Amino acid sequence: MEAQKVDMFIMANGKFFESHQVAQIRERLIQMDDSKWGMIQTLQFKDPTTSLIISLLGGSLGIDRFMIGDTGLGVGKLLTCGGLGIWAIIDWFMIMGATREKNMSRLQQVLY
Amino acid sequence: MPLSRRNLYRILFMACVAGYIWLYIGLSIHQSGIKTVEVCPIKHLTNIPCPSCGSTRAVILLTKGEFVKALLLNPLGYVVAVIMMLTPFWILADLVTQKETLYKCYQKTEMHLRKPGVAIPLILFVIVNWIWNITKGL
Repeated sequence: MEAQKVDMFIMANGKFFESHQVAQIRERLIQMDDSKWGMIQTLQFKDPTTSLIISLLGGSLGIDRFMIGDTGLGVGKLLTCGGLGIWAIIDWFMIMGATREKNMSRLQQVLY
Repeated sequence: MPLSRRNLYRILFMACVAGYIWLYIGLSIHQSGIKTVEVCPIKHLTNIPCPSCGSTRAVILLTKGEFVKALLLNPLGYVVAVIMMLTPFWILADLVTQKETLYKCYQKTEMHLRKPGVAIPLILFVIVNWIWNITKGL
């Protein structure tokens, strides 16, 4: 794919991924066939900042985990008052990274 | 990429250990006659109980065989108790037989729970339970 298109994608969506993954994504996109461009452009990613806000507000009900698609962990948090409050606090720091990982796996489903 | 098998088993094992330690603390406090310690952040912040407040007390009641009282206190206690009893043995069985039945079951349950037909009734159940908790003044 053209480097210009890829750079545009990176500029628009770079914040949704871990910084160490961006270079790898760029390389992979450049190698990729042009026919997949449409699919990649329509992908919806979860914003890490939004999930942080949700984690701060509804973390002890597990809503943040439900939102990013970790339903099982969400149920776990809900049933235990956010892991007796401890897990909820840990997740304030973990949730942004977890959201970026989820975004990466969503992109990977299209890439590979 | 969903949770890896190793991570899932680790988290579940740690949760079970923490749960049993918590239950032991709860039981020993309960026997000494003092009110159980409340750690729920929502209750501490807002003075309103959360949907799963009282599940420790419900599990403690279950260990004493008072099933109806436990159900009236918080039905979620039953869910917690079943998970706590099942998972350690399931993890052990998987480790011994070198299979991943728990992992597959977890993924299937997760997929199942995401369906609106299952999710909406469960969410309603949790909300109704929450309202009940607030009216009970747990």
